[in-house]
Amino acid sequence: MSGRIREEMSACLDRHRGRRAVVGGAEALTYEELGERVRGVAAWLNENLNENLPSGKSAPRHVGFCLANRPEYVTLYFGTLFAGDLPLLLDANFNTGEIAAIRDDCGLDALVIERAKAEKLDIPGKLDPVPFADDVVLLPLARLGAPRFQARPATEVCRFTSGTTGRPKCLEFSGPAVVSAARNWVLGTGMTGDDRTLCLAALSNGLAFNTSLLASFVAGAELHFLRGSPLTRPVARRIAESRITRLVAFPTLYRNFVAPGGPDRETMASLKHAISAGAPLWPDVREEFRTLYGRDISDYYGIAETGPCTFERDAGHHTGLGQPLPGAEIRIDLQDGQETDQEAGEILVRTASMAGGYLNHPGLFEQRLDAEGFYHSGDCGRLVDGRLHLVGRTQDHINVAGRKIDPTEIVDLVTALPGVADAVAFPDEDLNREALVHLVVAAAGEGLTKAAVAAACRSRLAAYKVPGRISFVAEIPRTGIGKPRIALLREQLHQVGTDGKETPG
Amino acid sequence: MNEQDLTAMKKRVQRLIYMAAGGKISEEELGQHSIDLRTIGLDSLGYLNLLEGLERTFGVAIDLDNEEDHSFLHTIDNIVRYLVAHRGEAA
Repeated sequence: MSGRIREEMSACLDRHRGRRAVVGGAEALTYEELGERVRGVAAWLNENLNENLPSGKSAPRHVGFCLANRPEYVTLYFGTLFAGDLPLLLDANFNTGEIAAIRDDCGLDALVIERAKAEKLDIPGKLDPVPFADDVVLLPLARLGAPRFQARPATEVCRFTSGTTGRPKCLEFSGPAVVSAARNWVLGTGMTGDDRTLCLAALSNGLAFNTSLLASFVAGAELHFLRGSPLTRPVARRIAESRITRLVAFPTLYRNFVAPGGPDRETMASLKHAISAGAPLWPDVREEFRTLYGRDISDYYGIAETGPCTFERDAGHHTGLGQPLPGAEIRIDLQDGQETDQEAGEILVRTASMAGGYLNHPGLFEQRLDAEGFYHSGDCGRLVDGRLHLVGRTQDHINVAGRKIDPTEIVDLVTALPGVADAVAFPDEDLNREALVHLVVAAAGEGLTKAAVAAACRSRLAAYKVPGRISFVAEIPRTGIGKPRIALLREQLHQVGTDGKETPG
Repeated sequence: MNEQDLTAMKKRVQRLIYMAAGGKISEEELGQHSIDLRTIGLDSLGYLNLLEGLERTFGVAIDLDNEEDHSFLHTIDNIVRYLVAHRGEAA
């Protein structure tokens, strides 16, 4: 580990001392206070964690973060880096099985987690309160032998994407990649020390990680967090009270802002940039937000494996996902091998903030790179006057709230249930236009119910993979080679009332 | 609040949940007012939408950080009890 992030953060803490760095609820830390706490956490980790390791500290310890956004996340994350250890940023909603899979695959020496959540997990261990937060604990985890995979020497941070069969895929990032992402975001979006970012996306997520966590400090800006649910009322109040200039959020929040009863223009007056990611933003919400508040929402386009890709710098430009950020190159790969400026094809991306690879899926990342190091995103789009426009996906994965779900995992589970003759899963939308997985089942006979299928899915799949809609049909239409005819199926379901029958027969 | 008003409030909450879940939970399932909403598929996004709907419809200010026990959101009966006790507080 080169300690490149530690080096960058040290410089930020020195350069901006005296300014406010992190604000959460009533607590605010200056860069100087943050630095003291970060160094305090590093010393505490070095003092307290070694006793739990069988052979003491001989290599970077792997510290998992399973924590909601809060100032202590920042303190503990940088404290881990300052201790020379490796932070692995887990989704705070990972369950016991997913955490266990990460421990087995990647090695986890300890988990930083809220005490209340730790007590609900079925993971034994002594809960040591961490410095500066009584309700957050460090849960040492006994390694069950060596992890199955070893991190690359250059890796300084690991993040996760949703894998199949309950095994999240662990992405490794070098220090230079993380620092490049932060610097290029600052440069490309014009972030300055006068900015105050309210970050509502989870820090383990690429959007927040790359736009907020280090980038704010590189710019000498303030990073704000909100405790509790991101409801319109408290978010708007925080924007007004703290004179927030940047909001990092997701489409649902923006939709709630523009719904009747949302905040007025004066409340939102300080906002310069509203950034959305996780799922495509609805065009009418973007339009309504502009009408109500005089600000465009930047529909962030980043890829977990490559980091941030585009940003719209021109406030007067209202379509597409913006131009490539500094350090990012985008190409459109057409099926016939021809690249043009207007036609749609797979989006290829090469950035200065690319992952090093998947720790627990060796070779998988490399398979998706072309000879020049461009990453095959699986997204389909076109470049128009240098701006990226997204068209759809070239792969079968279903994107639900930014998490990619492999439909075969669901179909395999359901077709193995007694009474199921056939099944297919495909992307659909609910009444609020939120993406969901639509599972259609053909039963082998009487007796199978939608509730039973739903219960089986809930008991064996991660919560976000559970189909949002389940329909029954007599038979799933397929082509001569057995491929499901989704368009025809949608039409059939629409004719019977969108939702199929509750039970077969 | 009389029985008729309570019944009307339950119906409004039931409709809010139906909308919050984007129609993924059937009206029939929601007709069981004591059923745990988490077991019939109300996910975190659904709860976020529901909290927004409750705040705007009934004028309550729900701060989950200040509520140690979140069971008041687990069933329609519990939600209605909470609303009766707190409605109008955000005004």
